Amino acid sequence: MKIVSRQNPFQKRPVRLSVDLMLFLVLAILLLPSGKGIAGEKITIGEVEEVVLMPWGLRLPARIDTGAATSSLDSRELNVENNIAEFRLPKKFGNLQLHLPVVEWQSIRSADFAERRPVVEITLCMGSKLIRAQVTLNDRSRVRYPLIIGRNILKDNFVVDCTRSNCSPPKCPEVPSR
Amino acid sequence: MWWGEGKGEGGWDFIMMDRWLSLFSLAVLTSFLLFTPEMASAEEKVTIGTVEDVILLPWRVKLPARIDTGAAKSSLDARELKVHEDRVEFKLPKKYGGLQLRLPVIEWRHVRTPEGLERRPIVELEICLGSRQIRTLVNLADRSMVKYPLILGRNFLREDFVVDVKRRRTSKPNCPDLP
Repeated sequence: MKIVSRQNPFQKRPVRLSVDLMLFLVLAILLLPSGKGIAGEKITIGEVEEVVLMPWGLRLPARIDTGAATSSLDSRELNVENNIAEFRLPKKFGNLQLHLPVVEWQSIRSADFAERRPVVEITLCMGSKLIRAQVTLNDRSRVRYPLIIGRNILKDNFVVDCTRSNCSPPKCPEVPSR
Repeated sequence: MWWGEGKGEGGWDFIMMDRWLSLFSLAVLTSFLLFTPEMASAEEKVTIGTVEDVILLPWRVKLPARIDTGAAKSSLDARELKVHEDRVEFKLPKKYGGLQLRLPVIEWRHVRTPEGLERRPIVELEICLGSRQIRTLVNLADRSMVKYPLILGRNFLREDFVVDVKRRRTSKPNCPDLP
């Protein structure tokens, strides 16, 4: 009689409870990605965002452009020698002089002209992401933003919401706070 | 082990099923509770890709549209554009049926293009994208040089659309007014 009473409820209960808990956790974890995975990974950004050009820590306003296949940077006094592009950023944004290796040339076809533009690699902080990306260099003095963020950068990182702007300020650990 | 012993008991299968069911429903319930805020915001805003098929109403012409957050205003490819006082007459590209349209000009606007300033007529169009039917302003220009006959710019995208560059043609037009 003693043995039977020990086997029945008293011994079983704690074991069952922990197994139940485990099963519940496994199920919850399995179901979690369906709710969060898709929406959680990508950062929502607006039509215009401030980004930081690294390692110089230079802040630039950028137009977020899903219509542009590649990104592009406003470069003044551009001069390419021995595959090194030498240029200045606009006065308004620090007038910084840069020397960067040209990684490729991009042919631009437009309604009435053809052009070849150098492509360089830069490091950007956008939102909480530090991104290494290619940008084409060209004089953008006629347009408002010194940097265009095109699909090559947006693809893996962001979704764009045009009802907002400057909603994802740069906050990479590498960026000094203002 | 508890499951080995359990076989001897009566109604074991019933208890197990009941437990699994309750566990499953509990897990579903909590995951719903945890993620309802996100689901609600996803419901308000429609996520679209960089290219989407849209339908021009009431003509029911299907066109591929470039979703362009870099464009301030939407723009439609208009061929053989003629202006008659406050109306414009133009044709859609042959590839998309070549339909002749006659629409009142809402206003004339200077539009900044890569080639400089251009004065373009603006008309109002009814566009179906996904399940949403939206009246919006578009400017008319000969776009024979570019790939897509319609550019949907920020004036359109502010109607609570979110653009995910990873997507393409993910929302089929299915407005209530379509057959």
